[in-house]
Amino acid sequence: MDHIDMQQLKSGEVNLGTSIMAVQFEGGVVIGADSRTTTGSYIVIFFQISVDSGASEHRLQANRVTDKLTYLHDRIYCCRSGSAADTQAIADMGHYYLQMQAQTLGTAPTILTAAALMEKMCYTNKDQLSAGIIVAGWDKSFGPSVYNIPLGGGLFRQPWAIGGSGSTYVYGYCDATYQEGWGRDQTVEFVKNTLALAMSRDGSSGGCIRMCVITEDNVERLFVPGDQLPRFWEGREVLGEAKKPQINRDVVPMAVEA
Amino acid sequence: MAAASVYSSPGFDFSNQIRNNFLTDKGLPLPKATSTGTTIVGCLFDDGIILGADTRATEGPIVADKNCEKIHYITESIRCCGAGTAADTEFVTNLISSNMEMHALTHGRKPRVVTAMTMLKQYLFRYQGHVGAALVLGGVDSTGPNLFTIHPHGSTDKLPYVTMGSGSLAAMAVFESGWKANMSREDALQLVKDAIAAGIFNDLGSGSNIDACIITANHTEMLRNVEMPNERAKKEKSYGFRRGTTDWKSEVIRKLVLSEEVTPIGGGDAMDTS
Amino acid sequence: MTSIGTGYDLSASTYSPDGRIFQVEYANKAVENSGTAIGLRVKDGIVLAVEKLVHSKLLIPEANRRIQTVEKHIGIATAGLLADGRQLANRAKDESASYRDNFRAQVPIKYLADRLGSYMQVYTLYSSVRPFGISTVVGGVDDDGPSLYVIEPSGVFYGYHGAAVGKGRQLAKTELEKLNLAELSIREAVMEAARIIHLVHDDSKEKDFELEMSWIGDETKGLHLPVPKDLFAEADAKARAALEDFE
Repeated sequence: MDHIDMQQLKSGEVNLGTSIMAVQFEGGVVIGADSRTTTGSYIVIFFQISVDSGASEHRLQANRVTDKLTYLHDRIYCCRSGSAADTQAIADMGHYYLQMQAQTLGTAPTILTAAALMEKMCYTNKDQLSAGIIVAGWDKSFGPSVYNIPLGGGLFRQPWAIGGSGSTYVYGYCDATYQEGWGRDQTVEFVKNTLALAMSRDGSSGGCIRMCVITEDNVERLFVPGDQLPRFWEGREVLGEAKKPQINRDVVPMAVEA
Repeated sequence: MAAASVYSSPGFDFSNQIRNNFLTDKGLPLPKATSTGTTIVGCLFDDGIILGADTRATEGPIVADKNCEKIHYITESIRCCGAGTAADTEFVTNLISSNMEMHALTHGRKPRVVTAMTMLKQYLFRYQGHVGAALVLGGVDSTGPNLFTIHPHGSTDKLPYVTMGSGSLAAMAVFESGWKANMSREDALQLVKDAIAAGIFNDLGSGSNIDACIITANHTEMLRNVEMPNERAKKEKSYGFRRGTTDWKSEVIRKLVLSEEVTPIGGGDAMDTS
Repeated sequence: MTSIGTGYDLSASTYSPDGRIFQVEYANKAVENSGTAIGLRVKDGIVLAVEKLVHSKLLIPEANRRIQTVEKHIGIATAGLLADGRQLANRAKDESASYRDNFRAQVPIKYLADRLGSYMQVYTLYSSVRPFGISTVVGGVDDDGPSLYVIEPSGVFYGYHGAAVGKGRQLAKTELEKLNLAELSIREAVMEAARIIHLVHDDSKEKDFELEMSWIGDETKGLHLPVPKDLFAEADAKARAALEDFE
């Protein structure tokens, strides 16, 4: 038990095997996610007369246009990864707490407050949850901020954060590419490219890309359909043609009845 | 004679668990609940929702019910298809239906589909997947037509067309190739029937007939057995045997009900009410 | 009923026929017997000052403070029953700590005043309890700038530019009204606070008193701290001098 296994979901549980991301820039944040949702090891059982029942394991797509960018407050969103049920429940509770807080104080909550609330839920219930969440948005006190809440809890402010099963493939790309001082459009391109790369390598991620640009003025939703994703080198025959096998004409193929 | 001991040790009794573990070790599995190996679907069309379901209930390899109802009533304009453990889908839809009625009464207006969806997801989440209900929830409310899927662990999806149960792949194949935005009522019903038929004929867990339910803003039409593609053909011949086909040599008739006599002891059977 | 008057003042859960709750009014009397506490809200901060009556020469000077820090940026000064003041300060500390724990942010002054007001109001509803015998001056600086509130035994709270509670409150209020609080600097406010406390202290009735002062502002980096020794000495000396001129 030295590490927590992301794939250790309850049997049949719906999983956000995911690529999610949030990046802050001058004046706002860009958050993004793929759209694939799968059910973990769905078991289909076949019965046939006089034959033993055979069971086969499938991983099937439960939703191909999922929205993993979830509203918490007017300028606060979260990206969800892990169990769909767990993260939806946490996001619903977070949404409720923030509404209550905004109502009693008469001001919009900060991203830090939202992230701290989410982290508390993730940490205190860590034994029963599989949830990796990124909280991001804009507030009056701190401006744009991105907070990462990894699997067992913990709260980390970062200029950019990636998460979900697909993120492991693109840490190097992000480290090599990210630069301070980007504007909105550059940040959107960065998020789009990173997610496309993660989705192409990770079997549990895919579909289309959803993004949100959160600024003081508004929240703008962006959508990239699956057939318009950024494309990178996808492989071609570079190692030379394979040699054609020599056919021995002496051997006649077996006659097959028509 | 000494009276039987009334003493029993305090606390829980785990003897049944020991027995069950013993039986499991000997190769006798625990009994399984009836599960609806099912095809259920939902589909949005221009002014409403159509839900569809097959009618087979299974118990392992056995067909437990050939014509069960899987489209459950939530409110007049909200219905819910259930897959998974039959008892759980039945109970959970009943419970939420009751709570929705109470909700409507306390607030004095028609409750929304998201309300039912939230109640269901919070209930299922609380039971961490042990209530095995996989649902397709659809209806029309003040916000328009709404369609959701709810998984047993409490996660939800909002989509224009959905399928669930063991036949979901077959049904989804039909939807993915045939669904269009803003379909007419007739086209949508045909698509739903085709999707369920795909489940019935390609998935062993699904079978028998097709149920459908068309929900629009001010009317709900439940089409029970809208199609019956698996009706048993009438036998061409009767295989009954004529009376007297078997001869017999002797006849003995025994009285199976024994008469018994009750003798009251003491003050009779009048209840002491003093 | 003869020995207990009308009987309407026996419990906080009983109204008098004209709609008053005598127990709450008695609690206000307890406040009126206490040394004066004042608060000044100026453009860049808050100053709290208390006239702490010293009833015994054996008491250690500067101990038994009546101004307490409940959060880094919030101080409260109470007038009335000392024990009730301590209890409320502890409650305020708990409230602030739990707010910080839940929301990772400093509690807004108004929210804290609201919570403490609600807490005190509950003690005006039941026959089994007695209302708090204190009026509390809550001062602090948060995102909205400096704010100053007074919570009364009934549980109501009002926001003020300048506040005074306790024995000398009438005279103190008159003095506060003469000041242009919105334009005063925090250092000037310290001088005025010391002067007012010295002024309202009645030498003929009370034997001895100790001046207690704290402030929150840019100079304290937004923290609630006692007024530094040198500034305190200066303000104290000026106040004494002003008083002698006056007499």
